[in-house]
Amino acid sequence: MDVARRNNIRVTGRADGPVVVLAHGFGCDQNMWRLVVPALANDYRVVLFDYVGSGRSDASAWTEDRYSSLDGYARDVVEVVEELDLRDVTFVGHSVSAMVGVLAAAAVPERFSRLVMVAPSPCYIDEDGYRGGFDAGDIDELLESLESNYLGWSAAMAPVIMGNPDRPELGEELTTSFCATDPDMARVFARTTFLSDSRDDLKSVAVPTLVLECAQDVIAPREVGAYVHAAIPGSRLVTLDATGHCPQLSAPEATAEAILGFVGAAR
Amino acid sequence: MNPLTITTRDAATGPVLEIAGDLDHHTAPGLREAVDTLPLAGGQLLVLDLARLDFCDSSGITVLLAARNVAVGHGARIALAAVPSNTARILGIVGLDRVFTIHPDTATAVLRS
Amino acid sequence: MTARADDRSPGGPRREGGLNAPDATFTALLEDSAEELYEQAPCGYLSTLMDGTVAKINTTLLDWLGLGRDQVVGRMRFADLLTVGGRLYHETHFAPLLHLNGEISGIALELKAAGGTRLPVLVTSRVKTGAGGEPMLIRTSVFDARDRRAYEAELLRGRRAAEEARRQAEADRERLQEALAVLQQSLLPSALPVVPGLEAASHYHTASPDLLGGDFYDLFPLDGARWAFFLGDVCGKGPQAAAVTSLTRHTLRAAALHDPDPVTVLHTLNTVLNERYTSGGDTRYCTAVFGVLHPRGDTCTVQLASGGHPSTLVQRADGTAEFLTTPGGMLIGVLPDAQFTPTRTVLSRGDTLLLYTDGLTEARIGPNRELYGEEALLAFAATRAPAGPQALVTALTGLLAGFGDGLDDDTALLALGIPSPAPATSEEHG
Repeated sequence: MDVARRNNIRVTGRADGPVVVLAHGFGCDQNMWRLVVPALANDYRVVLFDYVGSGRSDASAWTEDRYSSLDGYARDVVEVVEELDLRDVTFVGHSVSAMVGVLAAAAVPERFSRLVMVAPSPCYIDEDGYRGGFDAGDIDELLESLESNYLGWSAAMAPVIMGNPDRPELGEELTTSFCATDPDMARVFARTTFLSDSRDDLKSVAVPTLVLECAQDVIAPREVGAYVHAAIPGSRLVTLDATGHCPQLSAPEATAEAILGFVGAAR
Repeated sequence: MNPLTITTRDAATGPVLEIAGDLDHHTAPGLREAVDTLPLAGGQLLVLDLARLDFCDSSGITVLLAARNVAVGHGARIALAAVPSNTARILGIVGLDRVFTIHPDTATAVLRS
Repeated sequence: MTARADDRSPGGPRREGGLNAPDATFTALLEDSAEELYEQAPCGYLSTLMDGTVAKINTTLLDWLGLGRDQVVGRMRFADLLTVGGRLYHETHFAPLLHLNGEISGIALELKAAGGTRLPVLVTSRVKTGAGGEPMLIRTSVFDARDRRAYEAELLRGRRAAEEARRQAEADRERLQEALAVLQQSLLPSALPVVPGLEAASHYHTASPDLLGGDFYDLFPLDGARWAFFLGDVCGKGPQAAAVTSLTRHTLRAAALHDPDPVTVLHTLNTVLNERYTSGGDTRYCTAVFGVLHPRGDTCTVQLASGGHPSTLVQRADGTAEFLTTPGGMLIGVLPDAQFTPTRTVLSRGDTLLLYTDGLTEARIGPNRELYGEEALLAFAATRAPAGPQALVTALTGLLAGFGDGLDDDTALLALGIPSPAPATSEEHG
């Protein structure tokens, strides 16, 4: 199976620059990074991809078995990195993808040199002494919400990203797959994400790590950012003055700056 | 596959059922029902006119035999008219050509009754 | 419009036949302020800053939420008005799309009203940009979707029920086919016995795995010297036919062991079937050939009788073939005094006796779907070099396969013969 096709790999930026791999989380696809790519592309070789089951990945490669566990997604990352023979990779993972990066880096440590975790969470469900932000009932509600929106949204499945004269980097491109995942695959990704518990994996992190959190994030509240920062010795925590769970969209400049600052400094 | 059509009319000698189409596993019950609900009196003659019968298999044979039993039960007689060659052949193999009274057409059946 | 004494149009002066004169009430409506249109709209309106903080909200939506303006404006975010699942969905899908697209419409979410009730809604949002194109605020319309949600839930339920029913039907069908296969096996001998000095071969082709067939055959010893065989076809298909088949087999076997005269055996079967079925109003019959073999080394006498069954074929060692006709034989079980015709022959080495059901001869072949027929079968047997029962059955099996969907009935084959002597190992003759 051609990995580049399977994971809809897109490489942009400086061909000879150091490598930054951007990994989307649950919800949409590599388009999430659209607003930060230009800033990174100046100096870095930027690699974007979609996990199988999201975006414009090859859906025929999807199996419930593989993608019901974060290890399946980590294998996608490892296969992408090996397909392009990448070394010295800075892995930028959003939300649950940050944990996927932890697993991938543990699998092939020789390929990764830095980890950036954007609004990460190793566990979303509250437990004794740990605040993840949700309980199991909340997750069931999310799954229901996904299902009713499949039915109610089928007409709007093809949003058009139009060029904004003030943001020429958006370009004019018809994307019919943005946020339009197959409902069964979305359900599996949601369950895998929100029922995951990767807290123990954090101690395997052996590379310089940046934890980027938002000041107001319902999905990854401040306690979680603090937890992750504490669990990875030597990590740096930056709190962006942003609301919501996707700072790469709501505060792209600050996000890009934080990433560049970290990657540049660690060289 | 042709559906079965049954046209019922009365001759001086008794009811005449004109059977057209396919008589098989699916359509045989329809003929069975038609025969069962026929008002047949003792001494009458029931004629089954098969001139437009396209197909007849063992289910068809069964229902012809059942019709014979119904007639006999009423004290009436039964005759087959205008039996198509294929059906006639099968009746010959199974020996029913000597069991049923067979006429070339309904008019003859009525006349000779 | 005629005015009537009790015309009660409020504020409206009475008028005669006046479609043209404007109604004062109607005029009052037109002077409705934009503010009232906003506040009292049939849907909810809401404007938020880019971070979701509510800047403006109409009365309709406040009423739905059961909240006061002071509680919401400047203090709550749009996401706070949603259920937890909705909030998650908002963060992972709604907000990103809105950021990238500038608008998003028809999203199903649930509002959390004060008091804990949930209100299913459809949400449409659009980003308002400033003069320089920078995003300034988000304008959102909220539509009551209770009926729609009920309809969608119904659709989903219906779809799930249909899928479950289909799965169940598939499983049932498989189970049924398995059961039928087992039953079918029990109606036929699993293997033909070995008859000393004779070779026997058989084949059964079922036209439909969903229906039990009515064909049957058997071969069994009568005493130390003789063997009995029969092959036949019960009318109809399905469980009732299978019951008749079962009764028929057992009756033939029992009758043969009592008195193996073929005509007598068929008479017994006739009586049993007639009493059991036809006289009770359930017309059932079968056609069958019953016979007795008496092998004696190089030859074997065959005595058989037929009850309305297609003629038995004999393939002779000299390359000819013939039918053993039994004119006058009648199908079995219908008439209390049915006639059955006996016949006999002698088989020599290399001769093969073939019994078959009418699935073979009634098959339809060729573009005109003509009957294959007895003559063709005779020719087939004659043109094949005689090579014994198994070879003949194998050749016929191939023939049947070649009929494709022209063969739409079950077919049974039973072949019996005396093997030719094996060719003696020879030295080259000069």
